[in-house]
Amino acid sequence: MSQIQQASIQNRLLRALTSDDFSRLQPHLETMTSQLREDLIEAGEPIKELYFPEVGFASIVIDGLAQKIEVGLVGREGLVGAAPLLLGTDCTPQQSFIQMAGTLLRIDAGVLRIAAQESTSLRTLLLRYIHTQMIQASLTIYAHAALKLESRLARWLLMCHDRVDGDELVLTHEFLAMMLGVQRAGVTLALQNLEGAGRIQGRRKRIRILDRDKLLQLVNGSYGAAEAEYARLIGGA
Amino acid sequence: MARYFFNVRQHPGPEGLAHDLEGDELQDSAKAREHALTVARDLIARTRLDSVRDWFDCSFEITDQEGQPVMTVPFGDTVLDEPEDGEG
Repeated sequence: MSQIQQASIQNRLLRALTSDDFSRLQPHLETMTSQLREDLIEAGEPIKELYFPEVGFASIVIDGLAQKIEVGLVGREGLVGAAPLLLGTDCTPQQSFIQMAGTLLRIDAGVLRIAAQESTSLRTLLLRYIHTQMIQASLTIYAHAALKLESRLARWLLMCHDRVDGDELVLTHEFLAMMLGVQRAGVTLALQNLEGAGRIQGRRKRIRILDRDKLLQLVNGSYGAAEAEYARLIGGA
Repeated sequence: MARYFFNVRQHPGPEGLAHDLEGDELQDSAKAREHALTVARDLIARTRLDSVRDWFDCSFEITDQEGQPVMTVPFGDTVLDEPEDGEG
């Protein structure tokens, strides 16, 4: 088994672990590549493994509704499956799947559950991460209820940008429409508006972030609080 | 099946058209019109955009795989196309 070194890891949760906690998990971490649309956690199915994204990110959606709307985004700051495991259940109506392919560090759910029971510092760190996810979700609710589509799109682009290297996002309009719960034509119009103002440059299946500050001007408070809580409780990048 | 592209016209001129780069697979142009009306109804009902003051100013300019125009579907047709008694 390859020994994964904490310093070479991208995942910010793993980087934030104490060396003792990292040593607990390290022998059980297994590197795997992820494929676009790959299911990591299926709704209603027992959660056997959890995933620390290294490169790429996953979306959380509620399964079985007329319309799929993304309710959470988990990239290298997070752990896919953290909430159900830490909150004491082994399955959930939420589905988590890969929206940007990359690499993950996989860990057995039972191993992580026991490690979190044994180590207060590990448990606290993971619960604090779940807290930031709840802030992210509450701002998603705010954005859906109160903001126009350009603002919601700007928020999602910033959140995706935080979870990739570089300024280019590989995203179809169809995917963005699903994330935001709108028709693709709405996304196309909103992107055109953002592009006209020099915030982004759109090409087929690609969006380049040109001006983050100009995107931030649009978000009306819907972006930043979850990230600030993360920085306060877990640490910087 | 064919791929139809649902470009949205807001204003005259090249700046007034939002290009659909992805398209949808549909059986024929009748289905494409039906799809355009469904999408338009949903946009009118629950999508708010800074750049669109009135959805009824918009229309779909549907094109085919070669970029040739297939038809124009004004969002106002969502009202005209309500089913009426005795009409097909």
